[in-house]
Amino acid sequence: MELVGLPLSTLAAIGAGAAALTMLLYVLKLRRRPVAVPFSRLWDSVLRDRESSQLFSRLRRLLSLLLQLCLLGLLLFALGQPEPSAHASDGRHLVLLIDASASMKATDVAPNRLGVAKSEAKKLVQGLGPSDRLLIVELGAVPTPLSNMSGDAAELEPALEKVHASDTRADLERGLEFAADALRGLPNPEIILVSDGALGIPKELPSEVKNAALRYVPVGKSGKNLAITEFSVRRYPLDKSRHEALLEVTNTNDQPVDAELSIYGDGAVIETERLKLGPNERLPRVYPSLGGGGRKLEARVKYSNGQSDDLPADDHAFALLPERRRVRVLLVTTGNTYLEAALLLDEYLDVTMVAPNAYPPRDAFEVTIFDSVAPAPAKHTGSLLYINPPAAGSPVKIGKALEEFGFDTWDKKHPSLRFSAMGDIQVAAGNALVPGEGDQVVGASDEGAILVSGMRQGTRFVALGFDPRRSDFVLRVAWPLFVLGTVQHFVEEDTSYISSFTTGQVWNIPTPAVVESAKLVSPSGAEHVVPVKEGRAAHFGSEAGVYKLVAGDGTAQTAVEFAANLSDLEESKITPQATLSIAGQKTSAPSGFSSGPRREYWIMLLIAAIALSALEWLLYHRRVTV
Amino acid sequence: MGVLDLFRRGPQSVRPKARSSDDLFDDEFQRKLEMLALISRRVFAGRLRADRRSKKKGSGVEFADHRDYAPGDDFRQIDWGIYQRFGKLLVRLYEEEEDLSIYFIVDCSASMAFGNGRKFDQARRLAAALAYVGLANLDRVTIVGVTDQMVSRMPTTRGKGRIFKAFQFLRELEPGGATNLKDALETFVAQHKRRGLAVLISDLYDPAGFEGGINVLRYAKFEPYALHVVDKSDAHPGFKGDVMLYDCETGEERDVTVTPALLERINEAYGDYRSTIERYCVSRQVPYFAADIDMPFDELVLKVFRSGGFLR
Repeated sequence: MELVGLPLSTLAAIGAGAAALTMLLYVLKLRRRPVAVPFSRLWDSVLRDRESSQLFSRLRRLLSLLLQLCLLGLLLFALGQPEPSAHASDGRHLVLLIDASASMKATDVAPNRLGVAKSEAKKLVQGLGPSDRLLIVELGAVPTPLSNMSGDAAELEPALEKVHASDTRADLERGLEFAADALRGLPNPEIILVSDGALGIPKELPSEVKNAALRYVPVGKSGKNLAITEFSVRRYPLDKSRHEALLEVTNTNDQPVDAELSIYGDGAVIETERLKLGPNERLPRVYPSLGGGGRKLEARVKYSNGQSDDLPADDHAFALLPERRRVRVLLVTTGNTYLEAALLLDEYLDVTMVAPNAYPPRDAFEVTIFDSVAPAPAKHTGSLLYINPPAAGSPVKIGKALEEFGFDTWDKKHPSLRFSAMGDIQVAAGNALVPGEGDQVVGASDEGAILVSGMRQGTRFVALGFDPRRSDFVLRVAWPLFVLGTVQHFVEEDTSYISSFTTGQVWNIPTPAVVESAKLVSPSGAEHVVPVKEGRAAHFGSEAGVYKLVAGDGTAQTAVEFAANLSDLEESKITPQATLSIAGQKTSAPSGFSSGPRREYWIMLLIAAIALSALEWLLYHRRVTV
Repeated sequence: MGVLDLFRRGPQSVRPKARSSDDLFDDEFQRKLEMLALISRRVFAGRLRADRRSKKKGSGVEFADHRDYAPGDDFRQIDWGIYQRFGKLLVRLYEEEEDLSIYFIVDCSASMAFGNGRKFDQARRLAAALAYVGLANLDRVTIVGVTDQMVSRMPTTRGKGRIFKAFQFLRELEPGGATNLKDALETFVAQHKRRGLAVLISDLYDPAGFEGGINVLRYAKFEPYALHVVDKSDAHPGFKGDVMLYDCETGEERDVTVTPALLERINEAYGDYRSTIERYCVSRQVPYFAADIDMPFDELVLKVFRSGGFLR
């Protein structure tokens, strides 16, 4: 038996003081209550006989004192919190990692895997030894401690209730490193993982972890799952009313399944299809020319027979189409049928055509195209596309004249030339362009640069070094793609738009206004303030669904929506693991957790003290000890 | 009792609540006195008493009444005819043909006022009632108050009309002081040469012994009558625990832890004390009557009549 409460020296000091006080109270006599009697001789005759019993009376008084001292001793003993020596010396330090990844939402066990994990964790907490100390950690994409390292079940059990499953993969390696840091230097370290085992297993253990015993509590019993592992949409550049979707449906089972896939646009079905998937098959599907619906797209997959799988979290995915908005374009030309025709292809362009001498107009524009002219640009006419600019006024220096040339090299990823085949274009005559510092050569012949992009005085520009009418460029599909791609590049409506993010990563979300921070509303309605740097808000996303990013205040407030999906094939493989080996080290089941209520000896001592006090009270009122 | 009382040293005052004089001898009391006088006339019938077991024999030999036999009575006076018919021992009573002096000696010590003063009130009522009967029968009635000395005296008087004088005297008696019947009655005897019936009305709480006072009367040829005023609550004090007892007359103190067992023994001691008094009186042929203060005074007076010793 050892004392784990107050140290013995403190108990001795308290005991000595309290015992002295008790003895003093017994030695000191209270003044007696004076009572009159009519004839004291009556009492004399009786009390004479009582003289012989004084010794016994003193003994009874001594008995009362002994009872009080026993009571005091029990209370002191209770303060010392006595524990059996075996318990006191076996104090362990434990880190309880509770898997909170998306797979823990699986409902193959009731209510779900996380609920069962909490129950198992609760049993461990209730079975802690008196000297054990435990730290509860939520193991998601980032390990999150939820309690102090404590042996108090009253503190640990509420912490268990705070564990929530996210829509991300659990990072076990980081969790183990965190546990190792928490256990560094502590005796008898143990790491207990409560999980379904469907998580990324690190190939190598952190060195500090090797000192700790690894325990594993498996959760889950089956892994029947059908998942959407990819979902992306985009608008067609030339017909923004239509869009196409890329999907990947995965069957994580060893049996073939019949599935039904549906795509919804703002809640209305716009496409549905029955699929047959083989064992563990990943089936990519492209849905071209989807029309109708709204911006918000949702894909749902389910078994054709109506049964549900074990993990509903990956049965649906979201995507948002880029915003469709009208762009004001100013065309400064004396007349160019090819240019006008290309601009007519996009119905979302409001094109205004003016003669060179009418520039600049009063109205504001987002994009201005100078056709064979290069007047001094006005601020309110937006970004600039120069077609065959003259030397005077050109943003780039005009180089030597070229004849019979073409695009020998070009930047296939540049928005102006993306998806275009430029190699066959023949140009009769033109000029080489001399790019300035910081300019980008987008296309060039062997003789020099012929397509350059850059920025002058805060205004972006793209310059083409020849008149397209003196080439077969205008006869090719690449021509309208070039014109419209350049316009969309200027207005940030390019094909690099991300229709959905993946959870468990840091997202860089384009903000609609120049701000330092923005408010992010998650799918569950929770609001976060996120920092904005270089026009992008950074946020670590752990929840799938449609988010809303609000920037600015008052009338200047603008908002954009974006989607996030689990889209993690590994997390969709939810077959539980009964045993787990981490980097070759086999885990074992937890041991040393006693079932049943904890033996708190001090409570028993307290009860004994109260019983003694009650006995003393009874004896006093029965006048036995007085 | 407040907490500070625990630390208060001296004994507390136990002065009785004095009953107002009008309450003590009110109209109802006086009506009952008349009734008691009428009852007593059946015995006296307008003549003086005779054949009292007094040293001073009268000449009357006329039968008057019967009373219960008491140990010590003369066997010759037992009515054996009645015993033969009813199986009860009754003693024949005869009338005396001489007037009688009756002395009422009222104990005015502090113990008589203990509690609520009910013993003292009852003693005064009994004295008044018996005095009325005596006055109504033309006896010579004297009332004195005693403690450890004779504290006051009502001069000898005669005739029913003087009862109010007796009331007034009794009203003016104040309880207080210690008891010493021997000293007080020695003074009484010295001051009263005419012998007669001496009714001692007292709780007989005499530290020097109750016997001394009675013996003084006996040796001086008085006919003592012990009217013992009894308060049962004296045997059942309502307290427990650690107390400091003090005598209400002497102030003598004693630390005592009162337990239920001790209270039981006090009750027994009280009973023994009463038995001792009764045995003493009977053995000395002194009429004795225990007057319980919880009984109505008129009922007590009737019992006094029936027990004999006062009326014959």
